Amino acid sequence: MTQDVEMKEQQVAVAPTNSTSSTTPVLQHLKEIAALIETGAYAREVRRILRAVRLTIALRRKLKVSVISSFLSFALAPGSEAHSRLSSYLPKDDQNDMEVDTETSATQTTVKHSSELEIYCYLLVLIFLIDQKKYSEAKACSSASIARLKNLNRRTVDVLASRLYFYYSLSYELTGDLSEIRGNLLALHRVATLRHDELGQETLLNLLLRNYLHYNLYDQAEKLRSKAPRFEAHSNQQFCRYLFYLGKIRTIQLEYTDAKESLLQAARKAPVAALGFRVQCNKWAVIVRLLLGEIPERTVFMQKGMEKALRPYFELTNAVRIGDLELFKTVAEKFSTTFSSDRTNNLIVRLRHNVIRTGLRNISISYSRISLADVAKKLRLDSPNPVADAESIVSKAIRDGAIDATLDHANRWMVSKETGDIYSTNEPQQAFNSRIAFCLNMHNEAVRALRFPPNSHKEKESAEKRRERHQQEQELAKHIAEEDDDDF
Amino acid sequence: MHLYVTGFEKLVSWKEGKTKKKQQTPKRNTEGMDPKLTEVSQLFERLKAALVRNDFDTCSRLLSQLKILLIEFKSLPPLFAETPNAIQELTLARDIYEHAVVLSVKMEDQDAFERDFFQLKPYYTDVGGRLPQSPQEYPILGLNLLRLLVQNRIAEFHTELELLSANALENPCIKHAVELEQSFMEGAYNRVLTARQTVPHETYVYFMDLLARTVRDEIAGCSEKAYDSLKVEDARQMLLLSSDQELFEYIKEEHPEWEVKNGWLVFNKAKESSASSKEIPSLQLINQTLSYARELERIV
Repeated sequence: MTQDVEMKEQQVAVAPTNSTSSTTPVLQHLKEIAALIETGAYAREVRRILRAVRLTIALRRKLKVSVISSFLSFALAPGSEAHSRLSSYLPKDDQNDMEVDTETSATQTTVKHSSELEIYCYLLVLIFLIDQKKYSEAKACSSASIARLKNLNRRTVDVLASRLYFYYSLSYELTGDLSEIRGNLLALHRVATLRHDELGQETLLNLLLRNYLHYNLYDQAEKLRSKAPRFEAHSNQQFCRYLFYLGKIRTIQLEYTDAKESLLQAARKAPVAALGFRVQCNKWAVIVRLLLGEIPERTVFMQKGMEKALRPYFELTNAVRIGDLELFKTVAEKFSTTFSSDRTNNLIVRLRHNVIRTGLRNISISYSRISLADVAKKLRLDSPNPVADAESIVSKAIRDGAIDATLDHANRWMVSKETGDIYSTNEPQQAFNSRIAFCLNMHNEAVRALRFPPNSHKEKESAEKRRERHQQEQELAKHIAEEDDDDF
Repeated sequence: MHLYVTGFEKLVSWKEGKTKKKQQTPKRNTEGMDPKLTEVSQLFERLKAALVRNDFDTCSRLLSQLKILLIEFKSLPPLFAETPNAIQELTLARDIYEHAVVLSVKMEDQDAFERDFFQLKPYYTDVGGRLPQSPQEYPILGLNLLRLLVQNRIAEFHTELELLSANALENPCIKHAVELEQSFMEGAYNRVLTARQTVPHETYVYFMDLLARTVRDEIAGCSEKAYDSLKVEDARQMLLLSSDQELFEYIKEEHPEWEVKNGWLVFNKAKESSASSKEIPSLQLINQTLSYARELERIV
């Protein structure tokens, strides 16, 4: 095995110089990436492979059939099983294809390649097929790659594997057959757990959640989520997705406070480029905040690039803010297609109750005493017995603490209580405390996040300084951990 | 009560008519070579007959036999094996579980309902595409929604609701349950109670009666907070009780802290307890201040 790897290392050093003559810049780039993967595989450095994947994504738009097929011939031994299978997925339209083929094959036939490179080829072809909208080939290719992955158990493959899982699921989603692969994904998740492949677990868990939520199977999604092992997130993107799915599940299950937290965090953590994702997060977050009785600020709807997408939700918020049932109904009807495509329809039905609450709160603030018939009229309750309805609605609002009032059944009116001096209670102190706690928590989180800086600045520091800094940070972290323990 | 029973008979006989048509398929099969399927369908006929007679003992005995027999069919969940008789077996099993659900409602056994419903559910969700839709599907799904509402499991209620298509939501049986939940959440309890008269299906009556009890507790909880006092007569009407005697018993059992004085019901006592506690929470404050000091020290 080790001999194998060494051989590859030599070949990598030689390969680029060998074939520079007849290749395009893109192919040249791909070869550099291949070299990076080989070094990564040899030195068992996962970060090199991560970088290779990032570089590939940057090249994505420039990929062409000819480039890929010549790269395949470069990276895989022509005539080998993987090579012939992968080439079969590519559409054939180039005649200088052959030229390159023969040229490279002459130099490469004897060399064996690492499995990392083979998996990378799968990934490359798969990305290309999806970009070209050749979904059925993409499905075949991804299934083949997953089958190949099952026999590989190497940490350096994990990064590539997690990307492959993602595109595997994507290709099935694009053709609408997501439910087919659920069993496979579950099996893969199990394998990843057994192999302690945390990145794989993270990715697969998200894919499974996505799979379930695609079919509105919230119950199954929550059961899986609560039982799957959790650990510190490896990839920010996966963590954002996880938070988003978690927020959705919690919204459906009426845990609005937690849902709001997850959704807002997901929206904040998401990379700026992921506009669609952030829009989705914001849509859900707006509804959850409305359901909680909060009114989101105007700035939420005015974020760059989101105004148009959030417009229906803006009008909805407005209706809830005013507490006008009629307006609410018209908005819900006007944008019903948007809401049903966002699959937020059922949530909006739930909002009706909040509109009534807001309206009621406005009434209770404006009037010190008002008859129930007027309340019913103001709320525009259309029912056979509006006074009785208004009475029970008001009494429920009082019990839930939405308004501070009492009812007089004999006279059929509602009496609002004087608003007491809030500064005579513990309320301000509690609000103050929760803000301080938030700030301190933020600081601690920031310190904790700094503990393992991304590899980039490592080179700048001298070894001595680094050791010193590590020691300091570790002490600090230990300190925080201890104090945390003390608190409970 | 009489109406209630005849309603069931109607339901069951109608269902029987439906399954009789289907009977021909398994019968033809008996000429072939599946004695198990014949045995199950014969037992099922006896179950249906017993259900019409309201002979619950026989029903549960037959049902447990049937369930054991069903285990042997490989085409049923969770295996979903593609056997030649798969469609017939699945349809038969679905019919059996539908009857099991109806039986559990008749026997007023909510736990059995939950179990049977979960066994039935895969036939609607997982193999729904392969079978012709059962006319009982929406009534039973609506019944389940109602059960969740009665048991105040609102989160599960909404989870189930998400699984339904826009089409299903338009169905009167489902719509009924959804509207009930909305009125319930808003606090429009009158609407919940009047909905009892408009039940879309006879089996719903049992759960509607249970719901009335839940609603009464809700109203009691709300009134306690919303009114200072109420006339006994008004209170009786609001709590939907037929006599003062019942009202007093209800108070004694559920809310012993309420007071009855000269024809008035006084809630004041319940309020006092929550409005007290004006003192400074010193221990809590000390703890908070100390933790600020500790955290600040770490930062500076």
